Amino acid sequence: MKALEDLVGLLSRLPGIGRKSATRIAFHLLKADESYARALAERIQTLRGSVRFCSVCGSYAETDPCPICSSPGRDRSLLCVVEQPQDVLTVEASREYRGLYHVLGGLLSPLDGVGPESLRIDRLAERVRGGEVREVVLATNPTVEGDTTALYIRKVLENAGVAVTRLATGIPVGGDLEYADKLTLARSLRGRVKL
Amino acid sequence: MFESVTTLRFRNLADAATGVGARRVFLVGENGQGKTNFLDSVYSLCYGTSFRGGADSDAARHGGEEWSLAGDTRSGPEEPPSRVSVTYRAGRKTAALDGKAVGDRKAMIERNPAVVFCPSDMEFARGEPERRRFFLDQTASLVSPGYLDSLRAYRKVLRMRNQSLKERRLDVLEVLDEQLAEYGTILRDRRAEILGLFDPVFADRYESVSRLGIRVGLEYRPSWKPGSRPEDVAAALRTRRADELALGVTLSGPHRDRFRFTCESGDFSAFASTGQLRLLALTLRIAQAGFCAERTGKEPLLLLDDVLLELDPDKRRRFMEGLPPHEQAFFTFLPGEPYEAYADGSTMVYWVTDGRLTDTDRR
Repeated sequence: MKALEDLVGLLSRLPGIGRKSATRIAFHLLKADESYARALAERIQTLRGSVRFCSVCGSYAETDPCPICSSPGRDRSLLCVVEQPQDVLTVEASREYRGLYHVLGGLLSPLDGVGPESLRIDRLAERVRGGEVREVVLATNPTVEGDTTALYIRKVLENAGVAVTRLATGIPVGGDLEYADKLTLARSLRGRVKL
Repeated sequence: MFESVTTLRFRNLADAATGVGARRVFLVGENGQGKTNFLDSVYSLCYGTSFRGGADSDAARHGGEEWSLAGDTRSGPEEPPSRVSVTYRAGRKTAALDGKAVGDRKAMIERNPAVVFCPSDMEFARGEPERRRFFLDQTASLVSPGYLDSLRAYRKVLRMRNQSLKERRLDVLEVLDEQLAEYGTILRDRRAEILGLFDPVFADRYESVSRLGIRVGLEYRPSWKPGSRPEDVAAALRTRRADELALGVTLSGPHRDRFRFTCESGDFSAFASTGQLRLLALTLRIAQAGFCAERTGKEPLLLLDDVLLELDPDKRRRFMEGLPPHEQAFFTFLPGEPYEAYADGSTMVYWVTDGRLTDTDRR
């Protein structure tokens, strides 16, 4: 069945989907209500046309600027720098943050040929120079590349007259000290807070 | 303790499940029959990787492209059995503990620590700095799982920094200096601390077997000044920028640390005899196993590949008497060696011929 095999081939290229799962999904679509399969196909087709990058923050949005960048209710003095558009959703889900975002589109990685010019760091510096921002919160992952990128941005912004902060790293809530690695523990100790 | 080991298409070993549920297992056979390969199968089940080096695909039997290993273990007579497996298929190696995939090999190291004694250990004694660093990193990883995280992070930053030096990315280098200094000083301090604890264990062991009457110890010579802070190290890195840019490599740091064997008159390995060097390498492994047992409370598995062959009878006896605490030990012997003298009633003795293990009673 060529149609089925073609669909399995396409589905198995999706992240986290192996050939077995792709086959299961394809058979599920065959069995499912026709309106469901049609709606799914239409949504996939219209996704690329209706979702684009916000020209201000670089996140995905259906409008440009995105609802967050154009919202009068957001704190414009706070700018949170993240690696990928999906990180915006993750930080938003915490409901702790009411500032704006800036998506880099990746992390510095000399081994993969990703230098500062491949990321939206120049645009970040422009936004900061715009004058409204008072604090830049670096929310890159606590990996080697995430650290490199955060340190690089700190250097770029060192004379911009804004506070540059980094998300705290440490023992996860509900985690166990015994299983924490030395680097995490060392950072947690450095970033300890007064009770 | 391993109760059985199953090998499928692994090196020259026959496809079989072999019972190994004894504290000591002897593998006897001529050279090239598969004794070391069997030790390697046990080591691979402990660490998910071979001690013989080479690519994973090299471990496939001649003409094959995949292999798999499984081991049934039990940590005590009342404990439930557990199964560890390592499979190489379609160019990918996966490990599983009780059917659940292992994401990080660190979990395997903690579960079944193993210490392998093999002829190539002589490299630790002879003086290649890289091999000595490897030994200390291995020892530190056995007793401190966090050490491996610091080592991995340092190595990654080092590779990124070397690439940036080659591409002359001065802006990125400033940042990588800071990271190299941070991870590197953690490693340096941890190495100094662990070597300080390991040195007396090693020195006592060496004297008890060699009876040289002099103290032979280990000395750490870090590439960066002991006690220097990360910011001092980063500043020092900046002063050597021109040299590093010219060569395209990082010229200082824990990857350039040195360790040496010292005695009253200086560098012991510079004037030690071949026999003394061989004993030095062997003692490093014994001390490593003892240190691991002492620090973690978990007795390691010992894999001893042709270790007695080149020792004189007196040293062999002292070596066997002074074996460190172990949960289980696998030895290889050539047929002419007096292996029966080292066996007790519970020892399992296998004859190895052309990749097949046969119980000696049935050979």
